[in-house]
Amino acid sequence: MSTQAPPTAHPERAASSSPGLSHYVVMPVVLGLSLLALYIYVSLQELDSIEQRSLNAARLTRAVWEHVQLTGVSTALTLLIAIPLGILLTRPFTRRIRPYIVTVLTVLQAVPTIAILVLLAVAFLFLGFAAAIVGLVLYAIVPVLLNTMVGLEQVDKSVLEAGRGMGMSRSTVLQKIELPLAIPVMLAGIRTALVINVGTAALVTYINAGGLGDIIVAGLSTNRITVQIVGAALTAILALLIDYLAGLIEEALRPRGL
Amino acid sequence: MSFLEFLETRSSDMVELGLEHAGVVALSVLLATIIGVTLGIATYQNARARGTVLAVTGAILTIPSFALFILLLGPLGLGWPPTVVALTLYGLMPVVRNTITGLRGVDPAVLEAAKGMGLSRRQRLLRIELPLAWPVIITGIRVTTLVLLGITAIAAIINGPGYGDLIFTGLARVGTPVAVNLVLAGALGVMILAVLFDLLFYTARKLTTSKGIQ
Repeated sequence: MSTQAPPTAHPERAASSSPGLSHYVVMPVVLGLSLLALYIYVSLQELDSIEQRSLNAARLTRAVWEHVQLTGVSTALTLLIAIPLGILLTRPFTRRIRPYIVTVLTVLQAVPTIAILVLLAVAFLFLGFAAAIVGLVLYAIVPVLLNTMVGLEQVDKSVLEAGRGMGMSRSTVLQKIELPLAIPVMLAGIRTALVINVGTAALVTYINAGGLGDIIVAGLSTNRITVQIVGAALTAILALLIDYLAGLIEEALRPRGL
Repeated sequence: MSFLEFLETRSSDMVELGLEHAGVVALSVLLATIIGVTLGIATYQNARARGTVLAVTGAILTIPSFALFILLLGPLGLGWPPTVVALTLYGLMPVVRNTITGLRGVDPAVLEAAKGMGLSRRQRLLRIELPLAWPVIITGIRVTTLVLLGITAIAAIINGPGYGDLIFTGLARVGTPVAVNLVLAGALGVMILAVLFDLLFYTARKLTTSKGIQ
């Protein structure tokens, strides 16, 4: 789930200038039909008592809500840490250590997400919601940080010179010129982080932190295929929905004129 | 037992799991490259086809790997088959994207010249466009490899091959002294493979890029 710095998960979408209606309609329709198919598939089955324990509205709603919370909280914390850090690491006084940091971050991205989560559990006996958030944030910081740095560094230096020449202070240049120009690349990194988090949140069931992974694992441990499929399909649908919504927000936030 | 002693006693395990991990990734990358480059060549000239193939392969990459492995468990069973299919699907997007970007980045004047020299459509593709796009395509393959190395660790849930086995065995032994070593060994194995594959691609890119554009 890790993508390298400049090629982020969805660059081509950034290039589309005036997308047609199908661009907005296809994904919700596909997801709606998938949900409907899943519902029909389950209602055609005779559920035994074990299956009923997992496949009821209360249990499923709770799992989805936990999953959304895990994703939302971890992504928000990721942004709070990674964006200021990215800004700090592109200021002139950090120039000498910058290449080392980028190398270290790129190597860290190769560590599987599951390893980070499990390591928190086995090394520090750190389990539950808080542990899951720490694991998710640790992993998702990398794409946001790298994209913030890349986004800020690709801003044309002569534009910054012009800003300084117009009498802007360094912090005004940052707010009025650098950040707006870096936003498209930064947004791509944020969306990557969101997708990583919603996917990894499916695994935090292994450290007792809930989410839709609970349903899948309940299906695996009781050998109930219907339960496994419902858990997996809901996880996939939720991830695609969140990515779709993030795409809409990404388009809305992109500064005009870029 | 220290981590280094642990690695020493488990060295044959580490090598065996490493070969499995590298093998399943290499096979999946190969399949993803064949399918992805073909899709890229088939769609790069048409905006609508290009958009569709990128949207679909991008959406696949959005599906959490845990969910996809479980959904493939029904039709394909345990072990290598669902692992290879899932990894190949995940690997498509970077390859397709970079193939399209690379082919579209070829200077139209160069193509015009090739046409003027009497090269057929097929000759232009094979002798001009693909060689010129190759550095971009191989970068896509490299990104795919790094992504798949990480995802493979999760395949252990469906008895897939590779270092994920150590991580999940460690999880099952939580609280025992060996657990941390198992998980660290699994993570370290994946990182070493990532560095090795990266070196491989660095060399391959140098060796396979046409002399004229180096």
